[in-house]
Amino acid sequence: MKKLISLLLSLAMLLSVASMAGAAEITELHTYETQAREVETWNVLKSQKATDNNVMVNLVDGLLTNNNKGELIPAAAKEWYTEDGGATWTFKLNEGMVWCDQAGNVKAPVKASDWLWGMEWVLNFAKNDATNTSMPFQMVKGAQEYYNYTKELCDTEGVEAAKALELEKFSEMVGVKAVDDTTLVYTATYPMSYFPTVCTYTCFYPLSDGLLAEIGVDGYRAAEPATIWYSGPYIMESFIAGNEKVFVQNPNYFYASDTEGHKRFERIIIKMIESQDVAYQLFQTGELDHCTLSPSNLTTIYNNPSNEFHKNLVEARPTKYSYQIHFNFDKLFEDGTPDENWNKAVANEAFRQLWYYGLDLTEYLRTLNAINPLACVNYAYSANRVAVKSDGTDYAALVVAGQGLSYDSDTFMRYNPDKAAELKAKAIEELTAAGVTFPISVDYYIAGGNQTQLDSANALKQTISDYIGDDFMALNILTYVSSLSKEVAAAHKASIYINGWGADFGDPINFLSQETYGEDGAYYTNTYSFANNATDEQLIATYKEFTELTNAAHAITDDNDARYDAFAKAELYMMEHALCVPIYYDVQWELTCVNDYTKVYTPYGSQTYRYINWETNSDIYTTEDYAAFAAAAQ
Amino acid sequence: MAKYLIKRLLQSVITILLIVSAVFLLMRLMPTDYYFSEDELMKLTEEQKNARLEAEGLLDPPLVQLGNFLVRLARFDLGTSRRIQMNKPVVDVIGSRFEISMRIGLIALGIALVVGVVMGVLQARFKDRTIDHIGTGYTVFVNAVPHLVSYSLVLVFGARLLGLPSLYSVRKVQESSVLPIVCLALTSIAGYMLWTRRYMVDELNKDYIRLAKLKGLNSRQIMFRHVLKNAFVPLAQYLPYSILMTVGGSLLVEKFFSVPGMGPLLTDAISRYDTNVVQGCVLLYATLGVLGVLLGDLLMVLIDPRITLGGKEETR
Repeated sequence: MKKLISLLLSLAMLLSVASMAGAAEITELHTYETQAREVETWNVLKSQKATDNNVMVNLVDGLLTNNNKGELIPAAAKEWYTEDGGATWTFKLNEGMVWCDQAGNVKAPVKASDWLWGMEWVLNFAKNDATNTSMPFQMVKGAQEYYNYTKELCDTEGVEAAKALELEKFSEMVGVKAVDDTTLVYTATYPMSYFPTVCTYTCFYPLSDGLLAEIGVDGYRAAEPATIWYSGPYIMESFIAGNEKVFVQNPNYFYASDTEGHKRFERIIIKMIESQDVAYQLFQTGELDHCTLSPSNLTTIYNNPSNEFHKNLVEARPTKYSYQIHFNFDKLFEDGTPDENWNKAVANEAFRQLWYYGLDLTEYLRTLNAINPLACVNYAYSANRVAVKSDGTDYAALVVAGQGLSYDSDTFMRYNPDKAAELKAKAIEELTAAGVTFPISVDYYIAGGNQTQLDSANALKQTISDYIGDDFMALNILTYVSSLSKEVAAAHKASIYINGWGADFGDPINFLSQETYGEDGAYYTNTYSFANNATDEQLIATYKEFTELTNAAHAITDDNDARYDAFAKAELYMMEHALCVPIYYDVQWELTCVNDYTKVYTPYGSQTYRYINWETNSDIYTTEDYAAFAAAAQ
Repeated sequence: MAKYLIKRLLQSVITILLIVSAVFLLMRLMPTDYYFSEDELMKLTEEQKNARLEAEGLLDPPLVQLGNFLVRLARFDLGTSRRIQMNKPVVDVIGSRFEISMRIGLIALGIALVVGVVMGVLQARFKDRTIDHIGTGYTVFVNAVPHLVSYSLVLVFGARLLGLPSLYSVRKVQESSVLPIVCLALTSIAGYMLWTRRYMVDELNKDYIRLAKLKGLNSRQIMFRHVLKNAFVPLAQYLPYSILMTVGGSLLVEKFFSVPGMGPLLTDAISRYDTNVVQGCVLLYATLGVLGVLLGDLLMVLIDPRITLGGKEETR
């Protein structure tokens, strides 16, 4: 029997080897971006958009990066530690790293002081225009004070005086010290266990004083591939705006000799293309190595078993963004007068909870993922894996379990028809007493001309109609031209918004602090929900309680498990009172020669598009291949 | 003539200044949030946003900003890009793109002129015969089918059957320029065919053609010496404009084939609220447009002795 099994296994191996005989690793990767996502700056410290960061993290190495499991791993720093519970953090840099220019000529050694020059640049108003200051303000001692100093200097002595600043005043004021050429110490604003995760973000990147001496402050403000220095895995060989970027290996990269642990492509060509449909055409002609499929192309291929790519349809991993429905608690009409009917309705807890318990969103999710809609289900506000307890439990899983929900279900579990009927009756009674008229009009805005968004909006409208009833509530689909935040949110025009948040660092505070009451940094509260303008006392009390719970959790700095439990309690409170409603993760389908499960996969920071250790295959991966990758990654 | 030219040039300068001033002031009517990217709106405090706006002079009264802009313009300083390519001079942003647009546009225009005019002549000469029907069918097809659909057909045909690159590449300029040029020429050919045929047919019905026939001239002499010469006059007026506007590129074709030209620049700059680049593009397009019309008028005078400029008998 054993012999038979061995024989069969050998045969299976031979067959699999034979099937892969023609396949090979890709050494020149051909990938793409859509034209609206072109790089705006080559100054890594100025870069803030994901499209810029996706390029820049390949050209300059920060202190740390992530691997395909989301773990922190060394980049410029070989080790990092705290000896005082997170109040100060020490980073030991690799010895022998160098900066080089576009031609590969070595220009200078990489030193710990480069991180001081980098932070000085970020915090200097005259140099970086206040961009990327929010995280250093929150996390680095003295950062806000130094920024204020440079701003005042601009006002009193002029911009040039602030541009001329070097490290003297900075070192005096800010908690970043270069102990020697390879030792860097940060002093945090408070004990912070997650500080190293912040160091994957580009605002904590280095800048060589040698480069500044070579091209000057204005030269670095207008940085270009030909003028910047490189310390990362790749060099930008050529860049034609709106057309293509070509990366080649940096011959001086510190890990260049580690061809297994830091495997790189010989060349990467990023084409700028007009749309996903063009990407599919280019994939068909072999000009691209992967393409994400538009809903129409996905449906066409999926519904036709004889389509040449039918067996190659693969589901990508969820992106880091967690999407939620935000309610606007201070809605205005076009003429600027308050929409009292909506504002009264949304202040009512039973009405909001109806959105939470009363909608089976499966058909809505199908417009995002036609084949496997429940892969997109999101039951927590914070994204998966943003923090992990010491026993390995994912923080977001605590929130999901706390609601009595699970992702291991073949239905949309949050939908509870009995509770929904009860809530609807309660809402009708309370809202009628408050003078609200039915159906309640819900204004929802989508980008004009965007068919995907229109399909999703229509599905949401139909879902509301089917599950809650047109007699109670009606969704009006309206359009904006180019910017939801500027055209719609700034004028308080929509009743609801669907927003996605991707964390900057690995702690739940980065999610929950966006929703707190009466705090300047609460982005969604101040920009979309306008909860601070609400007048309903019960709603305000609910928000204040949530804010207190969040701040209480944030105050726990000596015990991460207790901290995450406390955050989960706050987040569950937010869910229970339906201050906002989690809705989906973005899970798309693609045709690809790249194994997504080998890419950097992190729920925070800016490292996702580092082209390191990508496993590829000149043959297009099949659905079965990806199923095996997904199973192995579990 | 000289007096007329000076007058037209002065009018042109005033027109251009009015256009750029109007656009400048209109852009200042937008809320200041538009100066910031979505990420900046998320992460900058109100104080920081105000500090940025103040430092860039964007909180000054609009007329003061306009005055400052015109002073800078007089020094040929268009400022730097705020978003397209951050802090790069606008002149460089535009300069790096218009050469490509112009090269592709001029080749396409040349092909369109030759093919379109020749086809138009043949259609007129063989009116209501097979070649005329083919030409008319082509014109109707090109105008009736949305351009993106015809471009997709060209892409599929060119890339799959002929193996041409689907996108423009600076590393394969000649091969990768073929499809964009073909697409640009397709619509222009239809235009030149349509108008050449129409003007030629109009001319063919005039008395002097009948006289020429009676005098015994053969049809080739009539077509090329008389009919085409007169029929080409209205087309010639737009030739300088067409040539100059190749600098502006084609929004659709350049986006479709990722040509890094001028075509999508203005719309990109507007959507990203890169005001300096918008101003630079508007200035360029306004100048080319006004210059194109002026040169068109002058060309008419050169090729049609019946038309004169200036003086009491001024006809233009």
